[in-house]
Amino acid sequence: MLADFQQALADLTASPELCMAVKIDPSLLMRRYQLTDREAGRLEGIVRHPGMACSCMVYRANRLAPLALNTPRLCKALGHDLRAVASDYWADHPQSNVHFYVEADRFCRFVRREIARGRSFGPEVGSALEIESAQVAAALRESHTEAA
Amino acid sequence: MTRPTVGLLYNPVSPLLIAQAPDLVEYLGVMPDRLWYDFGPNAQGRRFHRTLGAIDELRRCAEGRLTAGHGIGLSLPSAMPLDEAFVDAVAELAADIGFSWFSEHLSVFITPKGAVPNAQAGLGLPIAYDDEVYGIVAGKAARLRQALGCPIALENGAFFTPVPDPDMTEPQFLNRLHAEGRCETLLDLHNLYVNWRNGGETPEAYIAQLDPAAVIEIHLGGGDDFAGFYMDSHSSLTPEPVWETAFAHVAGFPNLRAITYEFQETYYEDLADGLIPELERMHELAETWAPRRRLAHAG
Ligand SMILES: [Fe+2]
Ligand SMILES: [Fe+2]
Repeated sequence: MLADFQQALADLTASPELCMAVKIDPSLLMRRYQLTDREAGRLEGIVRHPGMACSCMVYRANRLAPLALNTPRLCKALGHDLRAVASDYWADHPQSNVHFYVEADRFCRFVRREIARGRSFGPEVGSALEIESAQVAAALRESHTEAA
Repeated sequence: MTRPTVGLLYNPVSPLLIAQAPDLVEYLGVMPDRLWYDFGPNAQGRRFHRTLGAIDELRRCAEGRLTAGHGIGLSLPSAMPLDEAFVDAVAELAADIGFSWFSEHLSVFITPKGAVPNAQAGLGLPIAYDDEVYGIVAGKAARLRQALGCPIALENGAFFTPVPDPDMTEPQFLNRLHAEGRCETLLDLHNLYVNWRNGGETPEAYIAQLDPAAVIEIHLGGGDDFAGFYMDSHSSLTPEPVWETAFAHVAGFPNLRAITYEFQETYYEDLADGLIPELERMHELAETWAPRRRLAHAG
């Protein structure tokens, strides 16, 4: 069905790993989604298209945008860890939020939770998180521009 | 009909550019999604919180200019009901600013489980051009037209992976929407260039299939190369081949009302020196519309 086709395409675009898994075993699509043969064939065609790597890249860049924009010091302080942390965050929150401050606020909470669980990061991460999470929380409060 | 207007897709730095060259900007395309914070359908209390200062500034800029809305969030091809609360919010803004038409994108930005991230409408998911999707888009376009009380247009997208095995081509899909009175076409010439650069058909081949009467607005813009692909980043001035396509075809779109340049505001400093010449060239382009049209009538 069309809704599943569109969701599958969104999921594939979000995940190069899922694209790879489908390339290896196309029957995975039918197991995960309710698709007609035509829809499954279309998705297989898309996954094998050379442009799919680019779609996946742009997806990640667009998902990173609210974080880079609103928590630039935190992203910089995470350095090489950013890639892994962002991937874990997206696995935890597969749906992006169109409200950039909600998205950035969620990311700050996620990093704080990871630290509380004992994950260790570079020395600047703690202070960057403290400063920017407060800024994001304030911006989020202020984005309630009109009476409820 | 007068010649098409020339203008900008409105962004936070547009007022600066308008102050420098007020006469060169006759039209503003306005993105409602950028003028409010959307707390989502499950928000407690009010869902849309408008950026009131930015809307005041827009009202000042819109005075004496033609305006139209340009949305992302309605995602007409999505296999789910139209977001009626969103439609209401757009209708309120449309009435406030006085949109002459409203355009959306011919791609999927919302799936049943959530939003597809798009920093600047950069990546919507491609759609299958078949009867099922046509029915969804046509129905929602008609509903939107009724709610907003103005014509609706859909913009062709930039895609890296078209959906294979279609029933019709994208121009045929747009032609059918026009022929059946559902909506018009916003033809993004830079998106055609992006698709061609990434292995798709030429802009010429695409335009040859398109009903010229459907086109009410064209978009110009620029991108850049990244990782072996050409991206629709709105980071540069309009590339020369896109100008060539524009000059070759503008006179042939009898219902064209606006020629719009879109750029991402973060590149404003880099683009600054080129923006006024860009607008001047757009006026030259708009001038090519009338004489050839008169000739066509004479013939
Ligand atoms: Fe657009
Ligand atoms: Fe566009």
